[in-house]
Amino acid sequence: MTLFEVLERFQTMDRRWVFLGMAISIVAPMLFPFNLGFKVDERVQSLYDTIETLPPGSTVLVSADFDPASLPELEPFFRANLEHLFRRDLKVVVLSLWESAPPVVKPLLRRVAERHDKAYGTDYVFLGFKTGKELAIKGIGENIFKTFPEDIEGTKITSLPIMQGFKQAKDFPLLVSVSAGFPGTKEYVLQIQGQYDLTMISACTAVSAPDYIPFYKAGQLRGLSGGMPGSAQYEKLVFPDGPLPGERLLATQAVNVLNLGHLYIIGLIILGNVAWLLTRPRAAAGGSA
Amino acid sequence: MPTTEIVGAWISIFLTLCIFSYLYDDNPIYKLVEHLFLGVSIGYSVVEAYFGAFKPNVINKLADGQLTPLVALVLVLMLFSKVIPRFSYLARIPIAFIVAAFAGVKLTGEANSNLMTQVAQSMPNLAAVYAEHGLWSWDADGAGLFSSLFLVAGLSACLLHFYFSAPHQRGMKVVSRFGVLVLMLSFGASFGYTVMGRISLCIGRVQEMLGLNRPIDEAEIIQPQLATLVSLVVIVGSLVVWRVQQSRQRGAEG
Amino acid sequence: MRRTAPLVVTFVVGVIMVGEYFIPHYRYRMITAELIEWGLVLAAAAFVLGLINLVQVNLPKVIRREQDWAYKLVMLIALVCTITAGALGGKDRLGDGQIYKWIFDFLFTPLNATMFSLLAFYIASAAFRAFRARNVDAALLLGAAVVVMIARVPIGESIPVIGDYLPKIMNWIMDVPNIAARRAIFIGAALGAVATGLRVILGIERSHLGSDG
Repeated sequence: MTLFEVLERFQTMDRRWVFLGMAISIVAPMLFPFNLGFKVDERVQSLYDTIETLPPGSTVLVSADFDPASLPELEPFFRANLEHLFRRDLKVVVLSLWESAPPVVKPLLRRVAERHDKAYGTDYVFLGFKTGKELAIKGIGENIFKTFPEDIEGTKITSLPIMQGFKQAKDFPLLVSVSAGFPGTKEYVLQIQGQYDLTMISACTAVSAPDYIPFYKAGQLRGLSGGMPGSAQYEKLVFPDGPLPGERLLATQAVNVLNLGHLYIIGLIILGNVAWLLTRPRAAAGGSA
Repeated sequence: MPTTEIVGAWISIFLTLCIFSYLYDDNPIYKLVEHLFLGVSIGYSVVEAYFGAFKPNVINKLADGQLTPLVALVLVLMLFSKVIPRFSYLARIPIAFIVAAFAGVKLTGEANSNLMTQVAQSMPNLAAVYAEHGLWSWDADGAGLFSSLFLVAGLSACLLHFYFSAPHQRGMKVVSRFGVLVLMLSFGASFGYTVMGRISLCIGRVQEMLGLNRPIDEAEIIQPQLATLVSLVVIVGSLVVWRVQQSRQRGAEG
Repeated sequence: MRRTAPLVVTFVVGVIMVGEYFIPHYRYRMITAELIEWGLVLAAAAFVLGLINLVQVNLPKVIRREQDWAYKLVMLIALVCTITAGALGGKDRLGDGQIYKWIFDFLFTPLNATMFSLLAFYIASAAFRAFRARNVDAALLLGAAVVVMIARVPIGESIPVIGDYLPKIMNWIMDVPNIAARRAIFIGAALGAVATGLRVILGIERSHLGSDG
């Protein structure tokens, strides 16, 4: 078999071999972990600093807009963010525009709040899910009591101490958008951030990050955490001494697995291009010999 | 830890591998769990839509004696008339309502945040940028006069690339070409981030199968690695049986 | 009447919603908040409409035992079980020990997450088979992608000498060419949204009202 034939066959090999390589590049670093350090980028640092500057006792609005598919990227951020907010003695109002977020948010919120001895309804509340996408965001901007008349437990939110004096989004000194896509950070920026000049930070999936960077650069977002590396960097800032007893830092653990996955894809691109370049002249001249 | 949770965790791992079996080939196990997913997700969306909007914003408000939700209720009934062909024209009113509401909020939102703010932020104060970073500053990730001008030129070129009212000839062709190159750089960056996102999702599934996404004590009770191994054996066995059956069928037909 | 009434509703609701931006008075916002609330309820009702449609399409196929009827039956059973579990759970449906929560945690979550994670494998396959540096455009795209992929993970920072510069180059790509391109797309999309919004509100665009609308 000539080199040309080998390369041609290589280019058209069964894609399941490529799949197998991908699986190995993900599983192997988990079974045999290695840790490379990483720096915190300016956008994540700015996100962290924005929360740090809030005076204790302030009430933060958190929009948890994700689903199980985006949990690996966003749950570590959300977990660390709740820890950060409660540790800073801030009050937290959480809501969601994605129907599949509440079952994840509710237990996590309760667990972190209990660790900090926070009381439901006074120090934190979960308003649950609302349909309507951009209309719901507009409603949050205009009148939260009307958009979310009840919290997830069915309690009227007008009766909750934490909600007193917080009728619309602009009453909150900070809006945190944990966003897996539509509706999420972009819609918040379009519908209410600009209109009410809200102070807003965002954690988004890697796919959305390039879209949101212009918002950060234009000052519409004060901080931005993109994908798993962003979550890992935020974990590094919130948990500088490592994970809490019995817990794990999921993004920090996973970000090193990304190394091999990325190298594998880059390797495939290079190999595919080299094989193509070497076979191109003869293929163009009339196919294999 | 309740037994239902342990059984659930094992089922979860089994279903994960059932979906991954699609990578081998489209097969009955995958099709089965795919339809299971469809049923569960649609059912879940309906339940959450009811408890998330219909109950608090209509039923409970009506129970409190408020009357305005009656209008919403009438609109909903008109929307449902879509399933009865004779009265389906009534559904146009709620559809018109919702489309107009979205059009209204999109119009001002896009004009304010995507148009005005983005345009306003695109022209930097060149003197201030030069005073702070000079022509190019490695310490500030390449910020400086060059990057500021590149940004304005790139943005203008991209916009002109999408301007089709003038033929793309001579000077316009050069500008348009520069716009395409800038777009390619951006799409390349997007591709890089997309790869990262997709691999991250896969990492999440493998973390579950290896028990790395749970607190350590929970993982010791559930034994997710054993669940993965058992599921793998069951699924591979089923796929082998399926393949053998398929080849027998083909043999009988041939 | 069948044609005019929807157009009037579109115009009135659209103008009121646009006016909300320009009239920041609380009385006016009481009106728009009410309209928004009705919109939220309608959006929720659309889910139910989808459900009715799904059953209308699939149930006859199961009854007639058409091709793949068994899979469709599984789908309908899963649908009924989930809705029943949610209805029985009521406002406590997301609490510990609830069947509905169990369905979410151990059926919905793994299926949803794994469906999307399949894409990692197909991206790998596409990277190998389709991404060729055939011209300058494609080479730039691939170059930017490779820089981002290396620099965004810890290994990029660990490479001797160039490891210091890779993240800076990546940040430059993200902050300069990426922003230039995205802003152009945003501005174009915003102009499109404004134009379409006006067409809808003024009744020039009527496709949402059906063929004889």
